[in-house]
Amino acid sequence: MLLADFGTSYCKFLDLGVEGAKPYLIATKKLQKNLRVDLATGHNGKRFSDSYVNELTALARGGEELIKAPDYVLLDCGSRDIKYVSYKGGELDDMGWNSECGASMGFTIELLERYYDLDFHSLAVPDRTFSVTCGVLGMSHIFDAVTSGISEAEAVARFVKGIAINAYRFAGSPETIYLSGGMCDNPLFVGSFPCRVITLGRYALIKGLEITARKHLPKHHERTKNTE
Amino acid sequence: MKVENGNMVNTLKQQKKSEYTIKPGDKVGIVGVPPLSVISKLSETGAVIFDLDEPRVKADMELTSNYLPRVYCAILRTVVLNALHLELDAVFIDVGPGKCDCAFHVSTVLQDMLNIPIIRTRNEDKKGFGYPLCRTKMSLFEKMQQITKGVQNPFPSSPDSPPCTPTAGFWGVPPRDFSLLNLFPCTTHIYGWTRCMENKTPADTDLEAVFNPHVPTIFFAQSFCAKTALAKFLAAKHPKGLYLDVDVTCSSSTGAKIQAFLELNGVPHAPC
Ligand code: SF4
Repeated sequence: MLLADFGTSYCKFLDLGVEGAKPYLIATKKLQKNLRVDLATGHNGKRFSDSYVNELTALARGGEELIKAPDYVLLDCGSRDIKYVSYKGGELDDMGWNSECGASMGFTIELLERYYDLDFHSLAVPDRTFSVTCGVLGMSHIFDAVTSGISEAEAVARFVKGIAINAYRFAGSPETIYLSGGMCDNPLFVGSFPCRVITLGRYALIKGLEITARKHLPKHHERTKNTE
Repeated sequence: MKVENGNMVNTLKQQKKSEYTIKPGDKVGIVGVPPLSVISKLSETGAVIFDLDEPRVKADMELTSNYLPRVYCAILRTVVLNALHLELDAVFIDVGPGKCDCAFHVSTVLQDMLNIPIIRTRNEDKKGFGYPLCRTKMSLFEKMQQITKGVQNPFPSSPDSPPCTPTAGFWGVPPRDFSLLNLFPCTTHIYGWTRCMENKTPADTDLEAVFNPHVPTIFFAQSFCAKTALAKFLAAKHPKGLYLDVDVTCSSSTGAKIQAFLELNGVPHAPC
């Protein structure tokens, strides 16, 4: 049974038909058009599968499996949107999905790294920040700062910090955030949160799909392997 | 108001001294839940009632921005949009505790905008007619349609089926975008102001605050409505409550939020 989380920039796969298989990543632009999977999530998921689990459900089920604490906030920062689930006493307490004001955060950060030829692994977290509400609108701050003599690296770092703070507030400003999604690999972004951050990597939603497949689907659904 | 030679001048049209006599066939708009006496009169006389709270014309909401801020309750922007397009003979707009201050201000706008009687009412009716539709097994969309339709007549609602055991709850006002109701199971019970509507007691704040702590419940309010505070407050009190506000239309991420909330709380989407 092939599971996939179809993201904007990257898609994550897990083949439950192969014992001990690990999840893997394929760039979205390299996907074959006729690809079919058995169970999908992600904003493109419905195109590739007849069985779809919505992203918040996948995130929540992934979190339930990966996080042992009874109280937590799990925030997923992807290319296109941000979403979170919060649990209290082991029970779902709140959730949010921001595809408007969180628009294109991760995507914009990646573009900026390439455009200005920066390496987020070597940039220090700045003291100051821009007030950024979304990736698109926040860009003008960078251009203004660069025009006023601030280095490109510093301007982009302030922008990234602004985005992290925005995401932190969106998730309810908790003391600790469990972070999932592609942005976990960006140390500048992770270090910019004004709270403790525990990174879970890119595969939280795939974990949620795995749990859905194992515990929540009717038996007849469990085909062993997709032949594509 | 404007200041002219140091004096305050009222630029609003004077409210037509509304000795308005309803005539058979008159096209009358209603906003909110007008008092039973008004609805009875309209119904007896044979006026044609248009519920202006609901989308009734296919026109761009942007047309209302000359009259109301864009950041304003979408129900009342819909009222203005309807009023711009329907050729009405009069409007009864409830502005008392059964509706809201925003509606009061919109009545001022309507007075200035239209050349017809705009009659403000304050519905403080106390006699409850019951709320069987809120508790029956039926698609939530259909239930909501029947409840809003029921405002136009002076009779209690009488669904065909008896109350069902609830599996989920919807608390709040009828949304501007009914499509979000399709995400709920047929065994969803309705609470909040919609229940007051069916009961024909829209100012019953005690009834409005009732919820069922045993079923996962979405606490819904229109964005920019004062009821967002009550919705958020009650959602926090409810052991399995989720606060939700929506503006004009329900986005896919909001839809997914409802779906995930119900799914994660083990609410089955049983067929009706
Ligand atoms: S939704 Fe709120 S602001 Fe809008 S008309 Fe109803 S009570 Fe008034």
